[in-house]
Amino acid sequence: MATTKLTRREIATALSVSSVLLGQTPASPPPIPQSVTLSPDDELKAARDSIRQNSEQLAKFPLPMTTEPATRFKA
Amino acid sequence: MATVPDDIFFATIAEINQKLKAKEFSVRELTKAFSDRLERLGPRYNALALSLRHQADRESRDVDGDVKRERFRGPLQGIPFGAKDLLAYAKQPTTWGARPYAGQVFDYTATTLTKLAKAGAILTGKLAMVELAGGPAYRFASASLTGPGLNPWDRTRWSGGSSSGSGIAVAAGLVTFALGSETSGSILTPSAFCGITGLRPTYGLVSRHGAMALSWTLDKIGPMCRSAEDCGLVLHDIAGADSQDPASAGKSFYYAPQFTRDLKYVRVGFAPVDFDDAAESTARPDFAKALETIRSLGLQVTEVKLPEFPYGPIISTIISSEAASIFEPLIKSGKVDELVDQKQIAGLKAGLEIPATDYLKAMRIRGLIQSAFSDLFDNIDVLLAPSRPGPAPKITQPLDHPASDRPMPKAPGLTALIPAGNLAGLPALSLPCGFADGMPIAIQLVGRPFTENTLLAIGRDFQARTDWHRRRPPVDERT
Repeated sequence: MATTKLTRREIATALSVSSVLLGQTPASPPPIPQSVTLSPDDELKAARDSIRQNSEQLAKFPLPMTTEPATRFKA
Repeated sequence: MATVPDDIFFATIAEINQKLKAKEFSVRELTKAFSDRLERLGPRYNALALSLRHQADRESRDVDGDVKRERFRGPLQGIPFGAKDLLAYAKQPTTWGARPYAGQVFDYTATTLTKLAKAGAILTGKLAMVELAGGPAYRFASASLTGPGLNPWDRTRWSGGSSSGSGIAVAAGLVTFALGSETSGSILTPSAFCGITGLRPTYGLVSRHGAMALSWTLDKIGPMCRSAEDCGLVLHDIAGADSQDPASAGKSFYYAPQFTRDLKYVRVGFAPVDFDDAAESTARPDFAKALETIRSLGLQVTEVKLPEFPYGPIISTIISSEAASIFEPLIKSGKVDELVDQKQIAGLKAGLEIPATDYLKAMRIRGLIQSAFSDLFDNIDVLLAPSRPGPAPKITQPLDHPASDRPMPKAPGLTALIPAGNLAGLPALSLPCGFADGMPIAIQLVGRPFTENTLLAIGRDFQARTDWHRRRPPVDERT
């Protein structure tokens, strides 16, 4: 998806803007409450639990075999 | 050199257009004034991703040439605007609000931006956003390369996301309008929290070519403006068929609210609980007044129930599955760990493990949702509900742990209207309708597919009887 048609000068200019952007200090970075911060492993476990719960909710929904996935919208 | 008056920063498209035609100031002078303001105040609210001052100056001189020759392209000619940084603008960084993409540059421009350039609108900057438009889910307002979107009405509160910079920039008078995107709530939420008017178009009406994909079957691009009228004018120019967007509906949009049927024949469905128990207590008085104003427009207002579906699990499964597929290279390369929000990182990783059968089941139920809404719209024309149940939360508030301790209402009302409307591909308009705790609140109107003109006609009449959309945050006093 990224370009292959830019000149070296254009890429250099664009990336210099990007480096400025990366160097920006956001205004008022908020403190994150420790009580709601999870370790990466716990976050992953929580995300997997959420997917499992969604799956259980979907499984409860009765669906006729003839129902096809949605692909189109009509006026 | 003419002076651009401060009121211009909060003027509507039509008001600015009139002054440009009267040659009170040039497009170049206007563009410079807005660029100065965007660069000066944008960082104060973490709203600015990238100033495009030089490109805007060049464009403005071209448009001035047209104005001089009395070659008028339309109402957007010479109007400064901003675009969410998920839209590609050739040869400039497009970061998607995320550190792993901070150096990303495309050699093409998004269709919506090309269309606006043809209309003579002036892109003055790319606006901040929640990283990857929120991904499957995020926990903190800080989930962005540029920091948390700070609300112009109170910088200790969140702007809403994921089109955070777009909401802030319009509310603070840094641009006249902005483009945002919505997968599930990303136009309506910042519009409501920042006190501006936002339109989520019908899925497929506006091209997404050149926009970051989060969910192919849900993503929409839409205008965020000062008024319903402005939303109509912008949508008029950005809508239309595009062979480069596989989801394009192949339809155009002509803003013509005057040809909408008489509002006394329009049936509006609402659930009383949304304006009472389901709303935050401080927001109820102004929500009640908004409901009264809607009734006073002569609309046929009746109670309605949302079709019963597990909207949350369905939309979560679809977004998580599609986002994991789209960002699979990011996830597998390990660069996903460079994102700010740990919940989003985990959600993207876990999304790769969703069974195909779950995704397909969600999409199959989605077909039933579309049919159910089609049936619902046999009896009503528009659904009405608060855009959000209350005002913007504090920026430190975890977004998955709401601060409000109000009990769950006995009836669900239309509280699931944002995921439901997105799953069904329906258009929605968010209108400022008052204040709670000193912060803006809003109502949303949702219609059947491709009925944007009906929503805009109601919005225009609502805004003719109220002045909430004209209120300004105390931006300048603090600078």
